[in-house]
Amino acid sequence: MVACVSSHLRKTGDGAKTFIIFLCHLLRGLREITGKEKDFFPFENIQTCGRHWKNCCQWKFISQALLTFQTQILDYVMDHYLSRHFLSIFSSGTKERTLCRGSLEMLLGAYFCGRVGRNNHNLISQLMCDYVFKCTACESSFEEVLELVDDCFVELKVGVTGLPVSDSRIVAGLVLQRDFSVHCPADGDIRIVIVTETIQPLFSVSGSEVILNSEAQFQTSQFWITERTKAIVKHLQNQNVKLLLSTVKQPDLVIYFAGLNGISVVECLSPEELSLIQRVIGLVPFVLPEASSQYELSHTALVKFCKPLILRSKRYVHLGLMSTCSFTPHCIVLCGPVQGLVEQHEDALHGAFKMLRQVFKDLDLNYVTQTSDQSCTSGPRIYKNSRESNELPKIVNSSIQRSYQDTVVKNEGELAKTQTNLKVCSNLIVPSVKLEKNVLCSTPKVAVTDSYQTDETLRCSSPNKGRIMDDHEPFIENNSANSKTENTRKEISYENLQVTKLARKDSILPLRYKSLEMCTSQSYYFSSIPAGCVLPVGGNFEILLHYYLLNYAKKCQQSEQTMVSRIIANALLGVPKILYKSKKGNYSFPQVYVRALQALQTNQPMISNQTGLESVAGKYQLLASVLQCLTNILTVDLVISIKRQPQEVYDQDSEEEL
Amino acid sequence: MSRLEAKKPSICRSEPLTGERTRASLAALRGLVTSCYGPAGRLKQLHNGRGGSVVTTSQSAALLAGLPVSTPVLKVLTAAVRNHVACFSDGGLFTAILCCNLVENVQRLGLTPTTVIKLNKHLLSLCTSYLKSEVCACRIPVDFSSTQILLSLVRSILTSKPACMLIAKEVDHISTLILRAFLLTIPESAQEHIILGKSIIVPLKGQRVIDSAVLPGILIEVSEVQLMKILPIKKSDSFKVALFGVSLSGDLSDTGEGTLLVSYGVSLENAALDQLFNLGKQLVSDRVDLVLCQKVIHPSLKQFLRTHHVIAVDRIGVSLMEPLSKVTGAWPIGSLGSISPSSYGSIKDLCIAKFGCKHFFHLIPNKTTICSLLLCNRNDTAWDELKLTCQTALHALQLTIKDPYVLLGGGCTETHLVAYIRHKTRNEPESVLQDEGCSQTELQLITDAFCSALESLAGSLEHDGGEILTDSKYGHFWSVQADLPSAVNWPDLLSRCGCGLYSSQEELSWSFLRSARHPFPPQTCLSREATGSASTLTLDCFTAKLSGLQVAVETASLILDLSCVIEDTN
Repeated sequence: MVACVSSHLRKTGDGAKTFIIFLCHLLRGLREITGKEKDFFPFENIQTCGRHWKNCCQWKFISQALLTFQTQILDYVMDHYLSRHFLSIFSSGTKERTLCRGSLEMLLGAYFCGRVGRNNHNLISQLMCDYVFKCTACESSFEEVLELVDDCFVELKVGVTGLPVSDSRIVAGLVLQRDFSVHCPADGDIRIVIVTETIQPLFSVSGSEVILNSEAQFQTSQFWITERTKAIVKHLQNQNVKLLLSTVKQPDLVIYFAGLNGISVVECLSPEELSLIQRVIGLVPFVLPEASSQYELSHTALVKFCKPLILRSKRYVHLGLMSTCSFTPHCIVLCGPVQGLVEQHEDALHGAFKMLRQVFKDLDLNYVTQTSDQSCTSGPRIYKNSRESNELPKIVNSSIQRSYQDTVVKNEGELAKTQTNLKVCSNLIVPSVKLEKNVLCSTPKVAVTDSYQTDETLRCSSPNKGRIMDDHEPFIENNSANSKTENTRKEISYENLQVTKLARKDSILPLRYKSLEMCTSQSYYFSSIPAGCVLPVGGNFEILLHYYLLNYAKKCQQSEQTMVSRIIANALLGVPKILYKSKKGNYSFPQVYVRALQALQTNQPMISNQTGLESVAGKYQLLASVLQCLTNILTVDLVISIKRQPQEVYDQDSEEEL
Repeated sequence: MSRLEAKKPSICRSEPLTGERTRASLAALRGLVTSCYGPAGRLKQLHNGRGGSVVTTSQSAALLAGLPVSTPVLKVLTAAVRNHVACFSDGGLFTAILCCNLVENVQRLGLTPTTVIKLNKHLLSLCTSYLKSEVCACRIPVDFSSTQILLSLVRSILTSKPACMLIAKEVDHISTLILRAFLLTIPESAQEHIILGKSIIVPLKGQRVIDSAVLPGILIEVSEVQLMKILPIKKSDSFKVALFGVSLSGDLSDTGEGTLLVSYGVSLENAALDQLFNLGKQLVSDRVDLVLCQKVIHPSLKQFLRTHHVIAVDRIGVSLMEPLSKVTGAWPIGSLGSISPSSYGSIKDLCIAKFGCKHFFHLIPNKTTICSLLLCNRNDTAWDELKLTCQTALHALQLTIKDPYVLLGGGCTETHLVAYIRHKTRNEPESVLQDEGCSQTELQLITDAFCSALESLAGSLEHDGGEILTDSKYGHFWSVQADLPSAVNWPDLLSRCGCGLYSSQEELSWSFLRSARHPFPPQTCLSREATGSASTLTLDCFTAKLSGLQVAVETASLILDLSCVIEDTN
């Protein structure tokens, strides 16, 4: 769980707490169901594996249903129902999208509220807002800028301890966290070069042999080295270079000559700093020429200024880079009385950039709708009929929860029983079901630029998966060619189905063919959550999704999907419940919930009493990550704890002694 | 052999402030720093039972550096104070006491952290905007045309550190020296940005404080053995100086990563030495008088230079390189082969001086912003304390150049601020209540807590059981000895207020600081005459105190905002 949360956080920068709350509620929901089932099916006839085995089958079944939900229903509900409630942080009206500062402030305000201490969160939020606008040269390049800031955040911030937080500020240009090795003040535009090796030639290169036959030889070579170094530095000076940025430590000789020639030197740049500078000004490192004759120096760039910056009596190098990309370089100086607080603010800001980066991306949604009323993807067909018959009347019932659980429990029991009775090894079934799903969902996913989900599904597939995917290659390519142009929702007929079928026949899945036949009537939809979609904070997203999932569940005819939808819908409410925990009276959770439901039923806008916005894409990804985590947890049937091997220090010692 | 130990789970404590242990340790820390505060503060002796050096101090920098702290809350607090001191040198105890007082006072109220933090922040911004405003009556603009205010500032810093063990005469002497040393670091021709020079503190322990001195230029200590080898210095108007950053020891310099195959009979050491002699010849032919080397000079080269009447001093160390380069104008030479004539520097005079039992080369520059402060004190601990104090004073002077104001010291700023805040929140509470959405009572409670934190901070200047009064015109701090007679005539008992600005002979009315008083508007806008008339004032560094105030309130808010402490005990 912790690994899942961390990886989600690394990617999106948001939602760690919600992740755990939501996962917790989902697990509780599932436990309730499985707990109920004990009373229904005692299962005394299973001799060897017993209850544990039965539970595993059940959980696996649920996890498969969850996967189906995540890949199909979730996108469908988002696209069909939720999308009408979305707000945008871009101001509408003009044809070009322009970022609305007020909206961004609300988005960031809500983000920092939970991450930065109460007395600072307004300040940090404002700082970040200013930073985003200062760094972006034009409106259309937010995405590019945010990507760069997220990647290079460590190089773009300077932490200073001992000053009040209110002294935090933004400085124009780039601050390198080291001092000059040599500083020669210079005015006007300053020409710079980057070097990645020592300018002074080495006496001998690694792996080579230098044979010295006389003292004079040694002295001559030393003399040559000095002269050559002098010549290169002199040449740099002739080209008007005033600043040398070096990724390595330069010898004393270079520093001496550079100082004499009025060239400032900054040494030991980290690879990250180098790559940032290269990204911003597009400057390639200077390659030392082989011959000592005249050579052209093409790789130089200009900076506006280059001066020491003193923060808390420590000197930094401050460069006024002239950007060649859409990012106008600025650095954030974060002050705080203690190191921990500065770090907290740094992390919060970094997370906020990750979050914004997600907000400024379109998020693709793909799903399948069946024109026939039968599903082709999950659950063995055998159980379908019995379930459909006893499900419909009960759903109309208003005391929904209990009754639907009963239904599901029964069905699951049946499933487990049949599966064990059939003596189908679970190991065989798991990959098979997954396999099919992978195939099915990876097909439309081809158009998705962000291959996150595809990766996930690939990872959990069985070894023979690779081969199968290979078989699909021509098909995938075909399809991607078709769908690449799709931006808005468009139906794609499934012409290539034949290919898939053929390919599938290679795989080891005799059980699944039947359901495949029914796929002919499927339609694939491609849609997206457009960049900048937001909803008001305070559980709005959760209540909306809860409402529409329940609605969907009512309409849905397959019981396992109904069940899963309900579990998820109910678990979603856990988040707003916690949010409104401390509120009383009119703002307590039941009141808010009832008001929201009423508004939704009568098609009126939901009224939120809270200021602040949150990203829809972030919430969607959070939900997807939680469901994937849950699927992973549920498919594990046994945890084997391995003790760490003690080090055999004694043995080694005794051997050496002998 | 490594032993594997099971990892212990982290300890999670909720509500860390309500715990008995935290409370006790917070109170202990408050007691500790409070008792150190001010000229009458008590000294603390830090020593390890196993032996080693003993530190006698009353400064937060030395005290907190040696104090083991285990409670997480206290760790935050002491770290904040130490970081503040690292930035500003001064105002560490002020920050620590205020922060402790705030945490304790507010915690007693039992209000929600949200309200407390919001209101504390508001009160802080009231203070800072008042202190920065023109009408502020506890701030004096610095008049750089006279030394009076600067000297008072240095004196106040010196007298507030009793562990320096100075008598009045010595305080006068040292404060003059510090001010002189500081003035020597200011360049004569001021450009757009003033780049201050450096005063190097040279230790001379075991001498009388009165022997301390300020000398322009740099002192390089030389041993007596070295001194004997040096020939009498010839008289000249100017000396040519070569400053080496590379080693002149004749070691083979970096020969790269490859393998070196040397034929039999070929000695690279000789080759390197030859190179050194060539260098020596060049130095001699360039008429260099003094060779200074950061690292080691080969004895043969030294001998060679000596025979040519060139003085060579080696092992200077990296810390002196930058000042030396500034003093002489020489560029640190990084080459053994070719030396550009432009990298030589010069000094006006060179002499050998003896202070106490130590011998020094004294490099007297033509014109520079580097000076040496030869600091003497009787014993090691007192010297350490005095050195720290001098650094603090020099730093405070630098900060004063940046922001040319000083604050009234001796508790007057605090009591004046208290009067201002009480008056402001009583008479204009509407703006706060609207902005922050809290009740009048909450505002009053927090204001009381905040003000009493400042008042007890001012009160901690008094350590001898005296009483503290405040007047109802300026809101200044007046202290009076204990055991008052029943019928007292205040003007006779009190002479001057804490900072020394006002005399008791004015028509003032006093009340006890801790008694309930009716809020009054303290007189704002300090008059020029008032600051001019008083001869010696007690003053504080403006920048350091302002930042200390902010850090104290922010740290207190941070501590009060903690709802859970998770500690990894592994």
